[in-house]
Amino acid sequence: MRVKDQHTNKAGLGRREFLGGTAALGLGASGLFGSKSALAQSTKTGTVRVWGEPGPYGGVGVAAMNEWAQKNAPGLKFEIETIPWDNVYVKLMTDLAAKRPPSLISVESPIAMQMMAEGLLLPVDDLVEKIGRNRLVDGVKWDYWGNWKGKQYVIPAHHQPHLLLVRMDIVKELGLKDPDTWDWNDLLNAAKTISEKKQGMAGFCMALGRNLCTDYHFAALLHSAGGRMYDPSNKYEVMFDSPQTVEALNFVKELRPYMPKGAVEYSFLQVVDAHVTGQTAMSFYWGRTLGRAAEEAKPVFEATEAFNHAKHPKTGRRNNWNDFQGWCIPAQNNPFIEEVKQALVYQQTSKEWLIKYCHSLMPNVAPTYKDIADAPELKNHPFYQSKSKTVDTYFKASLAHSSSTANELLQGPNPLAGYVHGRSILAQTVQKVVIDNMKPEDAAKWGARELEAIRKENARLLG
Amino acid sequence: MRRLHALLSSDRAVGLLFIAPFVVTAIVFMVYPVVEAIRMAFYSYNPLRPDLSAFVGIANFEFLFSDPLFWDSLWQATVWTLLSILFQTILGVGIAMLLHRALFGMAFFRGLLLFPYIVPTVVIALIWRWIFNPEIGVVNYSLLASGIIREPVYWLSTPTMAMASTIMLNVWKYTPFVVICVLARLQTVPLELYDAAKVDGAGFIRRFIDVTLPQLREVLIVVIVFRTIWTFNKFEEIYLLTKGGPGTSTFNLAVYSFEQSMASLRLGVGAATGVVMMIMLLIGSIVYLRITKFGEEVR
Repeated sequence: MRVKDQHTNKAGLGRREFLGGTAALGLGASGLFGSKSALAQSTKTGTVRVWGEPGPYGGVGVAAMNEWAQKNAPGLKFEIETIPWDNVYVKLMTDLAAKRPPSLISVESPIAMQMMAEGLLLPVDDLVEKIGRNRLVDGVKWDYWGNWKGKQYVIPAHHQPHLLLVRMDIVKELGLKDPDTWDWNDLLNAAKTISEKKQGMAGFCMALGRNLCTDYHFAALLHSAGGRMYDPSNKYEVMFDSPQTVEALNFVKELRPYMPKGAVEYSFLQVVDAHVTGQTAMSFYWGRTLGRAAEEAKPVFEATEAFNHAKHPKTGRRNNWNDFQGWCIPAQNNPFIEEVKQALVYQQTSKEWLIKYCHSLMPNVAPTYKDIADAPELKNHPFYQSKSKTVDTYFKASLAHSSSTANELLQGPNPLAGYVHGRSILAQTVQKVVIDNMKPEDAAKWGARELEAIRKENARLLG
Repeated sequence: MRRLHALLSSDRAVGLLFIAPFVVTAIVFMVYPVVEAIRMAFYSYNPLRPDLSAFVGIANFEFLFSDPLFWDSLWQATVWTLLSILFQTILGVGIAMLLHRALFGMAFFRGLLLFPYIVPTVVIALIWRWIFNPEIGVVNYSLLASGIIREPVYWLSTPTMAMASTIMLNVWKYTPFVVICVLARLQTVPLELYDAAKVDGAGFIRRFIDVTLPQLREVLIVVIVFRTIWTFNKFEEIYLLTKGGPGTSTFNLAVYSFEQSMASLRLGVGAATGVVMMIMLLIGSIVYLRITKFGEEVR
């Protein structure tokens, strides 16, 4: 995910050409379950607005829906509206507040869970049955995308974890251990060694700006340390003022000298830039970095591999921040509910379109259904030849370490996470340590107070 | 009927007709938003759940005054405004005096001066982000190439430098406004005053202090009041350049209000911030105009 990569993905091959190729590939296979097009034709006309994150995959999803519309609702056209990453929360909230929501939203789980608890989304249990309840890849549940009080509100679009990206040429040159065996101390030592021995190169990079990316990067460290923001099993009591939070903050503080100096203002784009331009040898990021490197910096692409995060020395956890991104349907002011449901089922049951979706930005958007993850056609991509282990780590091996702020340590949905990210509470906590030189203990207390304020203000969501 | 006809055909009716569009526009776009903001400052209002809106009295103001970030933002807004206005005024007067000379091509230079003022802020902010980029920005490149610095300066990554950078952007963009106002006034200053001062033996500095500055006094008072109000309320330059960061080191009250309203969905607190800003600027402007005795000569 992240970064305005709208261009090409496969090394040396334009995205359009590539999509054309995969379309041809899939034309023979008309979809795993067929198109389920035995539906009444809609006579409605107009544009069906769809919100999606930056990247080509939202457009591929909408292309599938337009294929459905050509057959079943000729007067309709689905159109994707891309929301820039750092404005996703503001854009969503302002448009929803202005009562002009789109008809369909592809959004990350924290915001989806906030919206579903707020009563803004339509339950989609009827679609789950049509799509196939038993299709999910091993290691995930429907709940991860968005289930609230027994009702499903979100249909999976993909999952996408951020992992540890490592320049293996540097690791080998400096005689460092296999990153797959690292714990936090090894990661810190590697970052230090690289910074000291490679002139002009930072050892490690993560986002430290007051933004969503920092929230996501820090959450992985917090969860690996065994910490959490809230406890869903105890009325969402705030758990943030804990030794685990302090430990994660201390680790960021220890890593800071080996990061690029500008990291305190970095968000998604800048972390990718730092890795692709060779400013850093290691970074936390989603699969998008590899797609970009394949296009713009071939040697960096060839040398970079992805690993599950370094183990926490005591807990042994290697948590990532896995975005269980899904499609959700606004319940209010939505004139195309029935059409959207049908188009969504069409897209979700079409093997060719789901493979195209994953191929459109490899290895950023991982398949969510077994039949797609195991399909030989999915492996018909150059990244599978050149980086099969990395792709498999993003797609499958990372799932054992999934966590996110919307479902911390997979212990239950958190409808408050959207508010937490809207206010950048985690990022601000980190910045209090790395910019204001606040003691991690005090920063954790500050963060806990902010989280408690969110809990109190939104107690209605918690039932 | 005859009275209505007489009224409609009178000059008074024509006058009313002419000002009607302005009055309607002002009511819709100025009076109504201000009244609505004041009303909202006393309500809790989450835009996602307007059904839960409730009167909360002065709770939003209590929240504001107990929030350390509000006071930080107020202090930073004051620093940002005062330094911006100081540099804009000094540079504006200086450049206007340079341009107030009958030299070949001066009209071209005067036109060029307007460039920062007419380019949209969003374009300028994005360009400045590139200019200030520590790795590939032209500022660091030039400073490194000329040997002034040995290591790249992280213009937007430390609180002090980020504040300095936002002030630089504001000064660069709005100094032309000061130049235009001052230049217009300079062109109406009677030359006899300078001739008389020269006869009395006044040098350049004495002529500037005793002739030019008093002549510019009225225009500078107006310019400073307007620039202070506009700068204090400024949102887009800071938000586009630094988003209020790093940390919250470049938050001003406008950014604070936006964050409370949009990111935190506390529209009541955002509105209360706006009301506080309005009151502060109103009091500040009245005090300033009283101190400077603006318009006394006219009376």
